[in-house]
Amino acid sequence: MLKQRSPWQVTWSVWQALFIREAVGRLYHRRAAWAWLLFEPMVHIGFLMFIFSVLSVRVIGGIESAIWIMVGMLGFFTFRRTMSISMGAVAMAKPLFTYRQVKPVDAVLVRAVMEGLLMLFISILILLLSALFDYKVWPDQPLLVLESYFLLWLLGLGIGMMLSVPRELIKETEDIVNLVMTPVYFLSGVLVSVNVIPMPYRNLVIVNPVSHVIDALRFGFARDYQVFEELSLVYPLMVGLAALFLGLAMHRVFSHRLTQQ
Amino acid sequence: MILLDNVSKRYRSDRGFSKLVLSDVNISIPSTSNVGLIGKNGAGKSTLLRLIAGADTPTQGKVIRACRVSWPLGLAGGLIGNLTGRQNARFVCRINGVDAYEMGEKLQFVQDFSELDEMFDFPISTYSTGMAARLKFALSLVFDYDVYLSDELVSVGDVAFQDKSRKAFKDKLGRAGLIMVAHSEKTLKDYCSAGIFIHEGHAHWFDSIDDAFHAYKETLPK
Repeated sequence: MLKQRSPWQVTWSVWQALFIREAVGRLYHRRAAWAWLLFEPMVHIGFLMFIFSVLSVRVIGGIESAIWIMVGMLGFFTFRRTMSISMGAVAMAKPLFTYRQVKPVDAVLVRAVMEGLLMLFISILILLLSALFDYKVWPDQPLLVLESYFLLWLLGLGIGMMLSVPRELIKETEDIVNLVMTPVYFLSGVLVSVNVIPMPYRNLVIVNPVSHVIDALRFGFARDYQVFEELSLVYPLMVGLAALFLGLAMHRVFSHRLTQQ
Repeated sequence: MILLDNVSKRYRSDRGFSKLVLSDVNISIPSTSNVGLIGKNGAGKSTLLRLIAGADTPTQGKVIRACRVSWPLGLAGGLIGNLTGRQNARFVCRINGVDAYEMGEKLQFVQDFSELDEMFDFPISTYSTGMAARLKFALSLVFDYDVYLSDELVSVGDVAFQDKSRKAFKDKLGRAGLIMVAHSEKTLKDYCSAGIFIHEGHAHWFDSIDDAFHAYKETLPK
């Protein structure tokens, strides 16, 4: 027998159902999907570590280059994956809008949480693996690491939430985002340390909130690391929250156009 | 009781707004009545059904559902292709608030009724149209709604399955209302007593489905 449920109970059961569906989809939708999740960041990191060792770069900003690369990459992937997954969530959930209980914003939130947990798990696994090779992966300031990790996820969720609406309504959005993401990657301090970039260009990197969090993340792992002096964690927090609320407002206004067939 | 208060609907696309599919529809549907939606192709029958279901929102006006209303049971949508039948059934049960204690029993019912057997654990993308329709039909019977919405989902599967499903559905309808879109006049007259005739964006209520069909035929070119 169906009971009359409160709106909150309905939303909660939708989140549970979507979460489990998403977990099944992400881990089993194709052969060894779980292995690919792990494989992609590992190959990226391994390739970059190889390049840096060929160039004989052993130390960056006072810490081992391997740690610098690994932590920066994992941090950036957390941001980028959360962003692109949240952005595409509405399209993935389209067949489910037949059920009025499921709203587009539910799909975005659930997918972002799923991706955040996946990236946390993958990061821990990769760090543990490299501990076997005697890299010093135990963070000096675990709380700062968690905080930075959360900020990267929040930035991904906020920007993804904001873009998920235009992505459905304006076809070109995805092309533009893909176009912009490559420069953002280079301007995030992932491949090149902010400190070695000369002045007029340095400002470009500092405007990018992701670069602040990534340097803070490295500092969380190794206390000896030289962060850039303008670093602020309030700035990325503000950008993340502003984007998230703007995105939620857009969902509030345009939700009926997202569910339309 | 389902109340449509000044409901208008138009669609929006790359080429701008469509004309009004429904304009100023004011109708109240008692939750015990069996109503057929009648009108020519593209008149807005499915649109009205989706608005009642809450799967779409009106451009203007309000839809008030003062009872438990099903999702629009139809051939299109509602299943996720890369998940198995069982996973889809679980999903629908979960969003409808079925808890873990009842879940096993409900899934067993869906598997038995849909006659999918071992295909129940295969992805939907491997199903034929008929198999997917059978699964949807079985799913709709799991819950006790006050009003069922059916968009062409009555005669699916082979003859034996049609007989079985008609019986099960009629049994449900003894305790619930129905709002139905169907192309065949026979099906509509079989299930419905009242009718709503949709013509040029306006909806007209008829207490008898025969009168509704009569009004519909008046508008057809002779």
